[in-house]
Amino acid sequence: MRNHLIFSAAAAVAMFALLPAARGQDAAHQGSVPDLSGVWQVTKYQPRMFPNGGAPLAPWGEAKFKTANAETNDPNLGCLPTGVPRLMFVPLPLEIVQTPTRVVIIHEGVQALREIYLNRQHPKDLDPTYSGDSVGKWEGDTLVLDTIGFNDKTWLDAVGLPHSDATHVIERIRRTDHDTLVDDVTIDDSKAYTKPFTIQQVYKLKPGWEIQEYVCEENNKYTYQGK
Amino acid sequence: MRNNMRNNPLTLTLAAVLLLISVGVSASAHHATASFDMTKSMTVKGTVTGFDWTNPHVYIYVDVKDEKGAAEKWSVEMASTGMLARAGWRRDTVKAGDEITIFGNRAKDGRPFLHLSKVVFANGQELAQNAQN
Repeated sequence: MRNHLIFSAAAAVAMFALLPAARGQDAAHQGSVPDLSGVWQVTKYQPRMFPNGGAPLAPWGEAKFKTANAETNDPNLGCLPTGVPRLMFVPLPLEIVQTPTRVVIIHEGVQALREIYLNRQHPKDLDPTYSGDSVGKWEGDTLVLDTIGFNDKTWLDAVGLPHSDATHVIERIRRTDHDTLVDDVTIDDSKAYTKPFTIQQVYKLKPGWEIQEYVCEENNKYTYQGK
Repeated sequence: MRNNMRNNPLTLTLAAVLLLISVGVSASAHHATASFDMTKSMTVKGTVTGFDWTNPHVYIYVDVKDEKGAAEKWSVEMASTGMLARAGWRRDTVKAGDEITIFGNRAKDGRPFLHLSKVVFANGQELAQNAQN
């Protein structure tokens, strides 16, 4: 009898542990949480965030931008991480996977994985990283992402717009119709820029596409690191 | 045989069309074609000596004979295996010995190195490197 009780209690605990996940998935399927899942591809490649110039560079940012050379020192050439937010503009597909407590973005480009935590705040005293720490929340049909905790080793775009370790990236991702996803990416970096700015990236759903292997180091003729 | 197509109005139009294609979604994710002169298109015709079905870029190696019959070794850079597969390419699409014509954009530094727009095979079949969106 006692063993039965223990077993029942264990089963109850196990069920309790599983329930939130089950509830969340049901909620997502029932539409109370928007479903952004699927493989998406940018509709337009935007190598420059400011195609006509005019980025609101502060002196620190201006000085750093002058050192950028897409042919010789783009961190991507040596297969260093693309980082956030540039990952969101890469013209290779990304897959969004949702769980009740996470949104995971699997990027084909450089096989990057981005985890967005829906159930916590940013930890204090973050180590600076290439992609920072992303937390998210739902605002109606929009997933609002907040990312901080960056190093300053990545570029914002393919021509070398810089950012500092004080960068704060806010993204508003929503599905404007079944086949269309929009991400409004706001970059707030008072060290590198005189004011925040927002760049929009649009994606199309790609049914039947699967994320493929992409090994940047395999046959890379552009490595300059260490040279 | 190598044609520099800069002076012919028809080929200039073709170059413009190819440029429009090449700045589309399929632009290289790895380095954004910074090393290539995307304002000028050219063609090279030659014999395939190798095909690297690899990432971050796929490469075709071609021997291109000049007027005197001497072979110049050209390399042709393409997108990733994933994007090319979505555009209809396979790991055996190009084979050593194939006679092909390459449309592309040359490296800014003048090396015999192209960023591919499309390839035309001896049987007339054409393959672009872009998945149709």
